[in-house]
Amino acid sequence: MEKSRSELGQIIIGVARDPLGLMGLIIVGVIVFCAIFAYWIVPYDPIAMDIKSRLQGPSTAHLLGTDQLGRDTFSRVIAGGQVALKVALPAVFGAMAIGLTLGMIAGYGPKWLDNLLMLFFDTIRSFPTVMFALAVVALIGPSLQTVVFVVMATSIPTYGRVARTQTLTLRNSEFILAERSMGASMARILGVHMLPNIIGVLAVLAAMDIPTVIALEAGLSFLGLGVKPPTPSWGALLKDGYSLIRQTPWLVVGGGLPIILATLGFTFLGESLRDVVDPKLRKQR
Amino acid sequence: MSLLNVVDLNTSYGPVNVLAGVSFTVEPGETYALVGESGSGKTTVIRAIAGLAPAQNGSVTFEGQEIRGAPESVMRPLRKDMAMMFQDPVGSLSPRLTIRSLITEPYRIQGMKDRDLDAEAKRLLEMVNLPTHFADRYPYQLSGGQARRVGVARALALEPKLILADEPTAGLDVSVQGELLNLLNDLRERLGLAMVIITHNLSVVRHVADRMGIMYLGRLVEEGTTETIFKDPRHPYTRCLLSANPEPDPDARLERIALKGEPPSLLKRPSGCEFRERCPFAKDICTQTPEWEVDGGHGLRCLAPLS
Amino acid sequence: MTDTLLEIDRLSVDYETGRGDLKALRDITFNVNKGEIVGIVGESGCGKSTLISSILRLTAPNTRFREGEVRFKGKDLLQASERQMRNLRGADISIVFQDPMQTHNPVLTIGQQMLDIQHRSKQSKADKLAHAAKMLGAVGIPDPEARLKQYPHEFSGGMRQRIAIAMALMSEPDLLIADEPTTALDATLEVQIIERLQELQREFHCAILFISHHLGVIAELCDRVVVMYAGAVVESGEVREIFHNPKHPYTRRLIECDPGHIKERARILPTIPGEVPDLANLPGGCIFRDRCDQAMARCASDVPPLDQLKEGHHAACWLNHEEATS
Repeated sequence: MEKSRSELGQIIIGVARDPLGLMGLIIVGVIVFCAIFAYWIVPYDPIAMDIKSRLQGPSTAHLLGTDQLGRDTFSRVIAGGQVALKVALPAVFGAMAIGLTLGMIAGYGPKWLDNLLMLFFDTIRSFPTVMFALAVVALIGPSLQTVVFVVMATSIPTYGRVARTQTLTLRNSEFILAERSMGASMARILGVHMLPNIIGVLAVLAAMDIPTVIALEAGLSFLGLGVKPPTPSWGALLKDGYSLIRQTPWLVVGGGLPIILATLGFTFLGESLRDVVDPKLRKQR
Repeated sequence: MSLLNVVDLNTSYGPVNVLAGVSFTVEPGETYALVGESGSGKTTVIRAIAGLAPAQNGSVTFEGQEIRGAPESVMRPLRKDMAMMFQDPVGSLSPRLTIRSLITEPYRIQGMKDRDLDAEAKRLLEMVNLPTHFADRYPYQLSGGQARRVGVARALALEPKLILADEPTAGLDVSVQGELLNLLNDLRERLGLAMVIITHNLSVVRHVADRMGIMYLGRLVEEGTTETIFKDPRHPYTRCLLSANPEPDPDARLERIALKGEPPSLLKRPSGCEFRERCPFAKDICTQTPEWEVDGGHGLRCLAPLS
Repeated sequence: MTDTLLEIDRLSVDYETGRGDLKALRDITFNVNKGEIVGIVGESGCGKSTLISSILRLTAPNTRFREGEVRFKGKDLLQASERQMRNLRGADISIVFQDPMQTHNPVLTIGQQMLDIQHRSKQSKADKLAHAAKMLGAVGIPDPEARLKQYPHEFSGGMRQRIAIAMALMSEPDLLIADEPTTALDATLEVQIIERLQELQREFHCAILFISHHLGVIAELCDRVVVMYAGAVVESGEVREIFHNPKHPYTRRLIECDPGHIKERARILPTIPGEVPDLANLPGGCIFRDRCDQAMARCASDVPPLDQLKEGHHAACWLNHEEATS
């Protein structure tokens, strides 16, 4: 336990030393802060309409102007961040947890189970995401939960494959053999000995995956398959902004810019994390 | 009753026949050394005994109970009595656990949660002459010798009757090898342990083993007490092995018996005596297959033994 | 015209780490003459890896050369440009590494790799391949022309090490550095490699710097020996002197501990108790003091110099100091 705390501290320091990593940390920090405290810091209620002020450009009252229903774009951008993370975080961590478990079992268990799970992963991966989303939406209707489910399901194979490869690599190491020689069960070997050694790689993967998932959510919302209006979402902003681009370009800016920033931020963070975590793993082996 | 009785153990990985019928016995309290080059199958033997490698044929009895190919449910209770030590001292310790967790792992696996694990960890560290504050360290913080001793401590946790040790001195500096061997000898005497030691280091064997068996291409070619083997080796391969150790004396000119070439591939086992092609003393009769013959505790597989 | 090929002169190297400066090499001094085989005996932590990487100038980014020179044919390598070093490596100075399984590029055939090594030569490809085949024959690889077309994984460990030696000798270097070349091999293969090295050395007249912790191999192969402990040279001299008349307690204990030295079955084996000191926190005085059974008061406060005891025999120990300076 002590080791994990100081190790985490060392990792954060390592990332902060890298200029891009520091930038990533700051951007992600801001996004997360805004997401958590969105409804405390927004200047206006993101869903409050004010038809009289519709389609205004940026001003001191409305930093990014208003949309076709008079709602403050800036407030919708901030609230949209909360939606983005409400989808991205459960989806990514859910996919990671499930993928990790299935991947470890595939890599360590009997061959027939491995083949079965690989078939399962490959089947999921062969579905185009959008078609899968359409099918699910047709079944259970569009909502935040739908998006989370779709994104999680389609991400599982990625984590599963990586976990499986890592498990296969470590499966024949001497310390695993030593545990087997003491009679450790498969559950114990996977949970106590395998997991801590492979989670580092998966955590980096997850950090790099979050922007992909944010973009995916935005895309689904853009197509109308995601969160229902009036819930603000960056994708919904893009959708509205796309049709209103002649009247006001600021909706598109409001929808697109945070996605770009989030992608940059998480990517810088993820890459810096990988650089810091990888040599550490190598040194400790 | 012998503690461990291995009869005609046979292991193949697909077409590769790694163990072609290995037989030996270990009595309680005895140390038996299995000696051979890489590829002789010696590591496979102890892994097969411990159930970590497959064994398609033959018999392995531990205290009279047959365990060859036994399922884990049969093996698990026996693992209290049979412990293993692995070749890579640091690599055989789970990298993210503290030494305390590593040493007390056997208790947890066997479900003995009622013990005071902290106290057991202390006791075990003292037994192997490691300071007790090492309990909080991690494997990467240990030297090879220290990690090796942690491996010994872990093997001894449940007071086993038999220890299977794979190259216990590999990777250790010469100046600390003695420390480990002395420790093993001491524990052996105090606890009445039996040991099977795998090594290719003959000089080590001399000081720890009561009896030894020399393996070549998955079979025993000679077996006997350590003294007789060192004084009077009868198989040419044993002679070659014994003469291959350079002495730390520039003026010593050993009568080195040169071995020709490399061990043949296991996929193309030579006919007749499998050592024939490399043997400096091969005769015509060696084209026939030699049988294992035992004479007064000394086993030999050779048609033209040396006198 | 001097006979000295390589002169290590008071070489001191540190590693800058988070815990402070790790004093990996301190005041290392010894020579290698033309055509001579010099053995470096040392256990883990003695600094031999740092020494080799310093000679070849292939050091980690946090390495600091504090003092001293590494003179090869009179020129200080530590001052040489990277271009000059590249011209030396693989040509005048070659190296054979410890682990034969890691030395070769797994996706190129042996022939391709041996062609690569000859990139400086202006000969035709056919000539270069013939040269490569000849070298493989010289190290005892049967049917060399055919084997040039094979990949590293098709060879056993012993053969790979022989190929590595063939590769190292192809350019007929002045100095061959062999870093524990037989440690990963069985005793029977070790013996074959050593005998092969002796033959090749007689044929090519290169000097060899042979690093190992196998005392028996050092005794058999080397003309002179340098004993290193925890970053310092503790003794050096001709092989017979070192083994029959060791003057440093570490050398003496090391020979005693070697299992090949002990003829009868021993109930209790000799050992050197204790651990190598932390090089980031050096104890004062002699580096071996904590583990020495003959330590005196002076050993705790002053570092003993490398005294010359007789022609060619040096030792760094206060026990000998009176004898040396009188």
